[in-house]
Amino acid sequence: MAAPSLEPARPATIRLAFAPDPTSIRAVSTAIRGFLSEQGVADRELFSYELCIAEAANNAVEHARGPARHLKPVAEALFTPSQIELRVTDHTAGFELPDHIPPPSPLRERGRGLFMIQSAMDEVRYLRGPTENILIMRKRRRVFQQGPSSPEGASLEALTLEECRSQLAEAQSEKAAMEGELSFRSETLASVFRCCAELGNSDEISDGFGGRLLVDLLHLTSADWYVLRLLAPDGRQLAVAAASDAELFLEPIALAAPGDAAQGFESLAAAKRAPTGFDLRECVDRTEPLLAVGAEATGLVCPLSFGGALVGTLAVGRRTGDFPLGKLQNEVVRTFAEFLAIQTLGIRRRREEVRNRVVERELEIANEIQHLLLPRTLPQLAGFGLAGGWQSAREVGGDFYDAIAVDGHSLVLMIADVMGKGVPAALFATTMRGLLRGLVERSADPAQVLSGLNRLLFPELSSVNMFITAQVVHVNLESRQVTAAGAGHCPVLFIPPGRGAVSALHTEGLPLGVLPETAYRRATTLLGNPAALLLHTDGLTDTRNPDGKAFSQRRLKGWMAANIVPGRPATDVRDRLATELNRYRDGATMADDQAFLLLAEETADGANHVSRGGRRVRLQRGSFLFSANTRVAAKT
Amino acid sequence: MKIENQGQCLTISEIPELTAVNSAHFRDEVRANMSAMPSVIEINLSQTRFMDSSGLGALFVLYRAASKGKGVILRLLNPTPEIQQLLELTQMQQLFEIVKR
Repeated sequence: MAAPSLEPARPATIRLAFAPDPTSIRAVSTAIRGFLSEQGVADRELFSYELCIAEAANNAVEHARGPARHLKPVAEALFTPSQIELRVTDHTAGFELPDHIPPPSPLRERGRGLFMIQSAMDEVRYLRGPTENILIMRKRRRVFQQGPSSPEGASLEALTLEECRSQLAEAQSEKAAMEGELSFRSETLASVFRCCAELGNSDEISDGFGGRLLVDLLHLTSADWYVLRLLAPDGRQLAVAAASDAELFLEPIALAAPGDAAQGFESLAAAKRAPTGFDLRECVDRTEPLLAVGAEATGLVCPLSFGGALVGTLAVGRRTGDFPLGKLQNEVVRTFAEFLAIQTLGIRRRREEVRNRVVERELEIANEIQHLLLPRTLPQLAGFGLAGGWQSAREVGGDFYDAIAVDGHSLVLMIADVMGKGVPAALFATTMRGLLRGLVERSADPAQVLSGLNRLLFPELSSVNMFITAQVVHVNLESRQVTAAGAGHCPVLFIPPGRGAVSALHTEGLPLGVLPETAYRRATTLLGNPAALLLHTDGLTDTRNPDGKAFSQRRLKGWMAANIVPGRPATDVRDRLATELNRYRDGATMADDQAFLLLAEETADGANHVSRGGRRVRLQRGSFLFSANTRVAAKT
Repeated sequence: MKIENQGQCLTISEIPELTAVNSAHFRDEVRANMSAMPSVIEINLSQTRFMDSSGLGALFVLYRAASKGKGVILRLLNPTPEIQQLLELTQMQQLFEIVKR
């Protein structure tokens, strides 16, 4: 009967760190010999194990450089009856261990160590890590040589043990490889964490942290070049944001449209959203951008994408095809690419937030300008009320109006629409209002006022391709005479004498800012009793209901005819008009700003009557209303 | 380690080991005694239980020094089987006269 196989579950081990000096090396090799002797290893075998430890330890000490010279190497022995494994961990830069070392010439003083180790052991491996390396030396042993079992039994056992041995050897080699990989990955993680920490202080992926991250990546993967491309804001081109060498700041490449064949490996990886390996020695396309690296370059292009969104590509590799990136290095490049994609998207989102905040603030400023722009008070004349309404489609509009008392019984009214929105439009509006006051002081004639405004504003308006439509009206309340001039603006509506229907006083003229010198024609008429005059911008007649139908001039005239009632205060009429416009719009989006200025006779008999204060009317955001003799600015 | 100068013969014996710890000392001591111009140098390895590549290196340096002198014979006496094997493995047995007696 065969003797039972009693292979220990775990090898007996000894692990000794030693000071980097010859005496300690000697002590450690003697100690390992002693350990193996205790395990029952025969004297004739011990010499070679002692020798291997001594040689490996000598190398570990002799080749350490810099601060690593002070680090303690470690020697280990793992004993099982079927195998002895020796290990020496060093802190040197490491070396390439050839599969087979030929015998060195006897006429050499040095250089026999590795040869002797390889000759003495069955298997020698050298695992290189970023900070330490391990030389693993294995010797398989014949067991049960002196066992009492029968020859048949022994051979049967030996067969089973052979399998065990090979499995064990395999497991141990796997474990050693995993240890190497683990140390490699922890280094990878460490650089990722370093970059995360730096990210807090950086807002630029191309220089700063991104560049440093990529230098780390080159170091980790022993690659010697990289090209990082980021998607341009137009989303059509991949432009180089960082590269390992100045000559690798290549021209932007176009992103392949769906269905089109991608040009080049980077474009291909971006289109496929998948890592793409390449070997330029096999590349026939002479337009391949990466040929700038070298005709023999090899490497990997990873798309920088996250959740389907592409932000760029990362190409990493080596200049010569002899040492392409290994599986583990490729994996590290892919991990880095994912990390970069997430960080880039994070930075972009933060930037967008900042930009949105800036735009919002700009609109707030513009809105404040607009509020300063409209007159806080309107002149008040006996028996007549003056009220203005303004409602903007956005935070800032280009519509505005003003009224200036020329003397005790006449007024100049103006309404204008700057073609354009935002702060520039509001700035033109303020300028124009200032100019108007100056011009009216010299002449209250609407035609002359408009020519003057055009002359003064033309250089600025034409330089930014903007223009302004405006209507200037002079009203003599005593004679009830109205003189108007228009610069491409919609007509003034009024009720003529004889209580007829509401009429439009048409004026003709080019908008301000079209030609440097423009003469404007006057149009005159008389006001009826009660007098009513409405200056407005086309935002009123263009107000759309949910069906898309415009309010129209016809409807506006009809509304005026119905709502101008003798004795009704201008502010009241103004509020009714604002309410009517909102009612008509019925929640549909405002497409344009609305502004109007209403003059209404408030006493049927023409006696002195002070118009009452305005009433607050709630309109949509950013709207406010003014009325004669009040300082009401209703804003919600 | 014992070094004896007997006329034309320089004998070195009682060497328990030749390693990185002592091989430089061994080499320099023997070289110093070669100034007496011996015609034979005998290194008795019978008590040498261990030798590493530094020890082999020291033996090589002595071989080179000896071959510079005219007709100097370098002889290794009674190496243990392990060291004999090591000398053969490294082909250094070609350089020395290995004598068992």
